[in-house]
Amino acid sequence: MAKFRLDKFKPIVALGVFLVAWWIVPTLSKSFLPFVRVSFTEFQAPAWIVSSYLDNLENFWARRSHSKIELIEAGQELARQKAFYQLLDQRNKILETEVMRLESILDMPSRREFRYEVARVVRRDLSAWWQQLVIRKGEDYGITAGAAVIFAGGVVGRVVEVNAFTSRVELISSPNFRMAASFEGDIRPVVYQGVPQSGFGRPTGEVRDAPQDLVANTQDPLRLVSTRLGGTFPPGLMIGSVSWLEPGSTGIFQAGTVQLDKRLLSLQEVSVLIPLNPLNYDRDVP
Amino acid sequence: MFLDPRVIILFAANALLLFLCLLVNSSLAPLSLYLLLLGPMLVLPALYLNHRSFFLCTLLTGLWVDAALPATFGLFTCGFLVVGTLIAMARIRFRAEHNYHPILLAHIANFACLVLLTVSQGLHTLSSPAFWLQLMTTALLSHAALLIVAPWFFNLQRLLFELCHVDTEPDEFPML
Repeated sequence: MAKFRLDKFKPIVALGVFLVAWWIVPTLSKSFLPFVRVSFTEFQAPAWIVSSYLDNLENFWARRSHSKIELIEAGQELARQKAFYQLLDQRNKILETEVMRLESILDMPSRREFRYEVARVVRRDLSAWWQQLVIRKGEDYGITAGAAVIFAGGVVGRVVEVNAFTSRVELISSPNFRMAASFEGDIRPVVYQGVPQSGFGRPTGEVRDAPQDLVANTQDPLRLVSTRLGGTFPPGLMIGSVSWLEPGSTGIFQAGTVQLDKRLLSLQEVSVLIPLNPLNYDRDVP
Repeated sequence: MFLDPRVIILFAANALLLFLCLLVNSSLAPLSLYLLLLGPMLVLPALYLNHRSFFLCTLLTGLWVDAALPATFGLFTCGFLVVGTLIAMARIRFRAEHNYHPILLAHIANFACLVLLTVSQGLHTLSSPAFWLQLMTTALLSHAALLIVAPWFFNLQRLLFELCHVDTEPDEFPML
């Protein structure tokens, strides 16, 4: 009679022991698994950073192939734009001074100020399960978890994980993303939330708790912008446009689909807003 | 030898596949397409290595994938070990030296990863038709890509065995 072979159960026993250990270890040491995760993430980071720099190098050599005439024309265009933005900057400074004067007269509380940190996008993870970006700046540039991320077209999302040299950003289109918003020209707050993406057409989101008197149509879509509420985003940043509102599930407020900027799917560079005076919830919240 | 050198080769090949896959996904993002090619990472370690080396290789691969993807940490570590152990337990039924069975196993393991991700990450979005549309697109595209990627990947792993002068045959007598 053939001997009963116990060794064939070794993989199952090893798997069982490992799964039990994986379940028990976090209860004994809360920092062990985060440490393992951070270690593996940091180990991978250089490969992504190198690939990002190689991408930059590729762009550099691609640009070098342009003729001198093209470069001169591009330089002239840039000079025109620079002159235009210098004028806007002067006007902006005058308006800021005026706002500060009025605020001091009215004795208004100070606004949150941000430092802008421009970062290259290293990787895009846009799938049915997650909508995230990895950017090439982390703790080395003072990026903090929860910081707002924006681009030329408006809101990009929020930093959810900060590593030594990279950070992970949750996109505004992700179902895990939610923020306070308002319609342009209307101070009443509404709720914006990301929704699962179909993968076809522009990215979309959802707006809820919109007042009944607001009317949106395709000819004159409403612009959804950020508000000061929540303290993460400065007010007035574009989120998307709403071309249809209908009664929500409660019947008291309206809800609708928000059309987001298509450029969100192909971002190359973003700005992280790092608060100069971070909120202290023990001190600032009444 | 305490550590089979093939563990390092297979793990490095898995890390390379993940890196390339994420690079392609990053480029495909403007088209809203996504590839999930995790299945091939589980096959040859389970078919070639003894159970101790298989466990080490799959554990490292799982931790590597968990750190790279925004899923719950431990999902792939535990998931890979479960799927890999099932393959290892039944390895006598498969011919590791040709590509037919490994490709079949890669498709099954990849589908298991898709289901695992959907159950763990997308439970709150299951009611959305948009989610299912994108999931179907991802699944079809990934399995179509696997038809090309899996044979290349298995041949690459075997080529690395030869280049590194390590044993090119599956380890010890297969388990029942």
